Amino acid sequence: MDRAELIARLTPIIATYAQDKDAVASINETTDFIKDLKINSANLVDVILDVEEEFDIEIDNLSMERMLNVSAALEIIEDKLKTK
Amino acid sequence: MIGNDIVDLAQASVDSNWKRKGFLDKIFNLEEQFMISSGIHQSVIVWLLWSMKESAYKIYSREAKLREFAPLKLQCSNLIIHDNTATGNVAYDNELYYTKSFFDENYIHTVAAAKPEELEKVEIKITGHALFDYKKTKPASVSHHGAYLALVYL
Repeated sequence: MDRAELIARLTPIIATYAQDKDAVASINETTDFIKDLKINSANLVDVILDVEEEFDIEIDNLSMERMLNVSAALEIIEDKLKTK
Repeated sequence: MIGNDIVDLAQASVDSNWKRKGFLDKIFNLEEQFMISSGIHQSVIVWLLWSMKESAYKIYSREAKLREFAPLKLQCSNLIIHDNTATGNVAYDNELYYTKSFFDENYIHTVAAAKPEELEKVEIKITGHALFDYKKTKPASVSHHGAYLALVYL
């Protein structure tokens, strides 16, 4: 799965919880979940659970700690898909 | 140093379904989950523990200049709940923070401090969202959620 496809599958998940809907339109790898998209921190848990379901992976606590932006999320998803 | 966090309970119930499978496991350790399941007002305990962690995290992240999403590393203990107040501790790495909370049917508010005596000194103002230019009043910690703005002065 290439990055473009990963972003395409990740975007609807983060769009659900983003409070800044304009920022969703310009999502790229540097987009920060909290600073740019204004996702509230309790909803970060939902993002993680949705990603686990969407990609059928398990995100461990250490990975979760750094999953604060699109690029970290993509790295983690790629990594978990590899070891599946 | 202090941190504070307010949870608008109406907003939280719209935004989050804490009963969702896996949700509590990502945030709360077994001891904390036991506190939640053994109470009558489970949703109050969920957001009380959450606000304790958030307020302590705000101190830690400011001091360590570090951002991370590690709710399980913030461990709540010594929680004592009275009618509508609560006190407790939150441990994070090697730091220990002291918390004091107030809750009613509308919101839960927690102040965390690195030293217990700071908790005695704080002045708390809870108001509608950004009704005035609060930055001029130089609060030590600011939190807003839903309809509420919480300002804490030291």
